Amino acid sequence: MRPGGRRYRTVIAVLAILLVASVLVAVAAGSVGISPLTTVRLVAWKFGLADRPYVPVSTEVILFQLRLPRVILAVIVGLALAIAGTLFQGLFRNPLADPAIVGVSSGAALGAIAVIVAGGGALFGGLGVSLAAFVGGMVTATFVYRLARVGPAVNVATLLLAGIAVAAVISAVMSLVMSFAGEEIRSIYFWLLGGLSARGWSAVEVVGPLILLGSAGAVLLIRDLNLVSLGEERAAQLGMDVDRFKWQAVALGALLAGAAVSVAGVIGFVGLMTPHVMRLVVGADHRRLLPAVLLAGPVFLVLADLVARVVIAPQELPLGAVTALVGGPFFLYLLRRERGRASSRA
Amino acid sequence: MPEPALALVDVTCGYGTSTVLHRVSLEVGRGEVVGLVGPNGSGKTTLVRVASRALRPAEGIVRVGGLDPYAVAPRQAARMVAVVPQDVAATFSFTVLEMALMGRTPYLSAFGGGSQEDWARARAAMVATGVQHLADRCVDELSGGEQRRVVLAQALAQGAPLMLLDEPTTHLDFRHVLDVLAIVRHLAERDGTAVLAIHHDLNVAAATCDRLIAIDHGRVVATGSPEEVVTADLLREVYGVEADVTTDASTGRPAVHLTVPTEPAARLGRRAHVIGGAGRGARIMRILAEAGYDVSVGVLHASDTDANAAERLNLLRVSVPPFSQVDREAEDAVSPLMREADLLVVCDAPFGPGNVANLRLALEAARAGVPTLLLEQVPIEERDFTGGEAAELWSNLRLHARSVRTYEEVVFELR
Repeated sequence: MRPGGRRYRTVIAVLAILLVASVLVAVAAGSVGISPLTTVRLVAWKFGLADRPYVPVSTEVILFQLRLPRVILAVIVGLALAIAGTLFQGLFRNPLADPAIVGVSSGAALGAIAVIVAGGGALFGGLGVSLAAFVGGMVTATFVYRLARVGPAVNVATLLLAGIAVAAVISAVMSLVMSFAGEEIRSIYFWLLGGLSARGWSAVEVVGPLILLGSAGAVLLIRDLNLVSLGEERAAQLGMDVDRFKWQAVALGALLAGAAVSVAGVIGFVGLMTPHVMRLVVGADHRRLLPAVLLAGPVFLVLADLVARVVIAPQELPLGAVTALVGGPFFLYLLRRERGRASSRA
Repeated sequence: MPEPALALVDVTCGYGTSTVLHRVSLEVGRGEVVGLVGPNGSGKTTLVRVASRALRPAEGIVRVGGLDPYAVAPRQAARMVAVVPQDVAATFSFTVLEMALMGRTPYLSAFGGGSQEDWARARAAMVATGVQHLADRCVDELSGGEQRRVVLAQALAQGAPLMLLDEPTTHLDFRHVLDVLAIVRHLAERDGTAVLAIHHDLNVAAATCDRLIAIDHGRVVATGSPEEVVTADLLREVYGVEADVTTDASTGRPAVHLTVPTEPAARLGRRAHVIGGAGRGARIMRILAEAGYDVSVGVLHASDTDANAAERLNLLRVSVPPFSQVDREAEDAVSPLMREADLLVVCDAPFGPGNVANLRLALEAARAGVPTLLLEQVPIEERDFTGGEAAELWSNLRLHARSVRTYEEVVFELR
């Protein structure tokens, strides 16, 4: 499929429509229904493009204080996880790599849990846990990267193994810390399983810029991602600075994943599945893949969060469990279908 | 004195604690096609990696066009040296044009899809390698030979004055081997590109390179013209094989002839005699020797292909000097070999006044009851240069012998 090919343009258009539709539906659903038209009119009013529609103030409050921040957080977290997954899969040239691979997720989890257990959750205006998670994720990623580095060169196989080993150690430490936890255990579990409830605009304001910055950086790596898919040595022969690329990819991936995990907890499967599925649809060329992932990640997480919210309302399901439950079987279905297609072609 | 395109001076390097190259020095000049030969594991690929900035040497100096490739940025290095790697990953979904454009990476700015010149260079590289008609096809849909040429186009698009090729012709059929080698030669002659190519096939190396460098165990063991490097001694010492090196009739370059050493399963204690000539007997001799026969052969001219083959197989042979007639002495020598053989095989060699005596002696032996096979792939009329005598003897032989058309039939008859 060519970048400008018709099929590709169709895929992108469908994804864009899906994103808008899923956002409107997610905003609409809840104990108080808000029609998509109301949403659009209220948003237009906020931007000064239209008069205020005749709706109760409570609707306005629910939309702007509860639904919209949550859905927008789902959009940017989905974006961050999916792009981080794309970066790591490209770097490791392995379709099974995900943001957890360099220890970002486990490091962030440890940071968050430590702060929760220490009772520091209320620090920095309630962002103490997020801050600790972000710092934990970045420190772990840096540590893993340094473990795998010899001189200027980083062996990606060593990076992979170091990430797995460090994650294992961290999860052991996490279990220890949790054994000291009392009533905080519930909030720890909820954090470990991921969720977007009651974050408000502050979370969006804090991680939004980081995630946009990280995504823009990822776009700049598109050419390098393509080159490195020919193999590291070939990429270097063609004039690419492979060592610099590895550093950049790990840094951006860790930044994105760390930002996502710090506000939403550990949400699996988005970073693994989105790039993988999109690769089946649009191919492995990152010029086509990245825009598709950019749209598909948010769609996936917005819909998953919607499910988590409405299935047993007013209770909520852990978002990480939903992404795995929905994503896993779908992923398997796609794999089998693709395999069937590949064997019938051969 | 201009700087050589590539110079290695006392380069020592390896992986971890194992040293692969030991104080290797070599030079490749502008417009020169140099072949790098040596057995498996001798360090050929490592040498190419050192020269292409992929493996920093532990000691020694690497200079590409007078510059140290390890002292410049990867981008700069890729403008100095292009590499055609040995294996091509076929699992990516880029089009041929995109692959060729990747060769322009060292010239592209961080943004943007390449200048007019980049596109023109990529297109020209595709034309040169004959893949322009595949421009919009995905690489993973192409055949192995086409993929090879795409990677060659990618390297050509780099426009570097030094090109390193790691076994550019392996896995290619004859046609594509010739195409690739012609492209490389053209590159050297037209653009003055210096070429260093690893060749597995000594004959390809000898036929297509201006100069050869042989390495073994990480050391340069021979360097010079193909005639100086490809010798029976080198094959014995470096490759550990006994082989004939002759001068190729069409190229005038050395050519290596390999034969699988014969090891008869068990000596049968039976004798076979072969009448050959002009190469028609070589295969039969080999079949008989492998079947366990003690084989004798003759009468042959001493310089005949079959005489060489018999020498290689270490067979008992009766021969006369080139262009001379089979004389009485030779007849006396060969006659008992024929009469006392357990099997006589008369091959479809050309017969002239010089060797027609063989047929006379064969007829006598066959009449005397020696089991005789006549190989009849080429009709006797086409190889009778005696004015009818040979044809007459041949038809008489048919009365006392068994005619076979294929080598399989010969093998069958031996059972």
